[in-house]
Amino acid sequence: MPEINEITKIRRKVLTEISQMTFDGRLDTDVENILTSVVTDDGPRYRCCVHKERAVLQDRIKSALSQPMSSTMTEAAIAALDGVISASPIIQVLPVACDQCPLDRFIVTDACRNCLAHSCIASCPKKAISVVANRSFIDKTKCVECGLCKRSCPYGAIIEISRPCERACELGAIAADKARKAVIDYDKCVHCGACKMACPFGAISDRSMIVQVIQQIKAGRSVYALLAPAFIGQFGVQVRPGQVLSSLRKVGFRDALEVSVGADAVAVEEAHEFIERNQTPGAFMTTSCCPAFVGMVEKHLPTMKANISSLVSPMVAAAMDVKKNDPEGIVVFVGPCIAKKSEAERYPGIVDYVLTFEELATMIVGAGVNVTEADAGAFESAGSKDGNIFARAGGVLQAVENVLSQLAPEISVQAERCEGLGNCKKIMQEIEAGKRAANFFEGMACTGGCVGGPGALTDSRVTTRLVENFAGSSPEKSAVTNPKSEEIIKLGLHRPHESHNESKQD
Amino acid sequence: MLTVEICMGTSCHLMGAQELMDVLEALPDDQRQQIEIKGITCFKKCGKGPNIRINGEMLDNATPDRLREILLTILQ
Repeated sequence: MPEINEITKIRRKVLTEISQMTFDGRLDTDVENILTSVVTDDGPRYRCCVHKERAVLQDRIKSALSQPMSSTMTEAAIAALDGVISASPIIQVLPVACDQCPLDRFIVTDACRNCLAHSCIASCPKKAISVVANRSFIDKTKCVECGLCKRSCPYGAIIEISRPCERACELGAIAADKARKAVIDYDKCVHCGACKMACPFGAISDRSMIVQVIQQIKAGRSVYALLAPAFIGQFGVQVRPGQVLSSLRKVGFRDALEVSVGADAVAVEEAHEFIERNQTPGAFMTTSCCPAFVGMVEKHLPTMKANISSLVSPMVAAAMDVKKNDPEGIVVFVGPCIAKKSEAERYPGIVDYVLTFEELATMIVGAGVNVTEADAGAFESAGSKDGNIFARAGGVLQAVENVLSQLAPEISVQAERCEGLGNCKKIMQEIEAGKRAANFFEGMACTGGCVGGPGALTDSRVTTRLVENFAGSSPEKSAVTNPKSEEIIKLGLHRPHESHNESKQD
Repeated sequence: MLTVEICMGTSCHLMGAQELMDVLEALPDDQRQQIEIKGITCFKKCGKGPNIRINGEMLDNATPDRLREILLTILQ
């Protein structure tokens, strides 16, 4: 969950206004008004002037409309209303918003005592350090940022500063260019959203499809919201699941369904695949439900690609089920995840749109609906306990183990699990090198699992507890015995072969 | 007794209503016992959220810091 700071508030105000205008049918004529309603003349100011703030806001609006930065505001609004989604990356640096953080990586602080030893000067391979005004001075024109001076100083007087976006990306996919603007390397990026959450200027944004979804609803299509298991408590800690369902119907969705039924099917099939793979000595298999984790393995550990379970994610499984029952229906996955937007692009015609909980909430507000005032009809989860706990770290592993204990209790599962892409990568490398023994691995990009995703609205510790209670209340106790999962398994849940080898460029 | 009404509606939820609730819940026992917390579904002031009402007085664009400040002034 993002901290609710000014950046978060501005982003949510923009999305809410866009939703409202789209529902009212005045986005094409009124879109420029957002510039003055969100950035008011009397402040408060975060940038040099109101003009700069509005220029940044224009980029934000175009990103929220999924349109290229080169289009005008009106062009962007019209294209979004026509359902166009630009081919631009899911996550991008907003050109005007990036403040070109003017950081020198190594800085000599007041703690420097101009000591006799001068370890810093001795350590520098480029002779970039001299004593100026009774203190060490680093000549930036010579410094190659090796860090030896920092390590050599007995007082720890030289500190290292890095850009928040760079520090947040555990895959080294974002760095400053020569003009000090942040640039994302899409050969390394897996769209986890960590840089977006870290940037104190809100300069990194994921594009949104709210307008395109609202247009489908307004066109009278059967639009289904597929709710990720982490949806419990996202619209308010006290909000009941039934209230979410009735709110979405008021907004115009045909129905809201739970992805946990897809998770049940995946848990059962993953257990079957594990049993099959386990016949080969030394077999090792990972989960496949977290798209950022899968992307990390594909882009950063390509030799381990074959170890990823061959199953589609619960999102795709649940979407296939909707399409089977209503081939004309439009599927909108709603979750805490940005990377799902990228995963969905691999399944055209199955997952039509992806929204975060944040985006859905702004759409609800834009439609004039208040979840806390909606009726709470009786609501029982269609997914079992197993499928519902996919939402929190350790849940997928636990669900697969539960299934295995019923299908093949004789098999010993030696499992590892990890949260955070850097941790996942490190542990996977150790397993590959034989330094760590494991035959099963759960990989989650976000701390806490899905509940800790960048598109969540409620603190992950709270959501974890609520998910646990909700899972326990499900009438279906096991994925194996849930009749719905059997039905979904029949649809064939193995990923299309090409998506194994394809390294998607965007 | 102090009455604090917090809007928990979807619009205010997006603007951080839960953080305000957390401020109240985290107060020391002696202060917490002097406050009656009420969850409201809407003050019809969406767009200025999060909205709260303290002893009948509305506060819009509320932040955890501002709420803490006001509570300290009243409770002392």
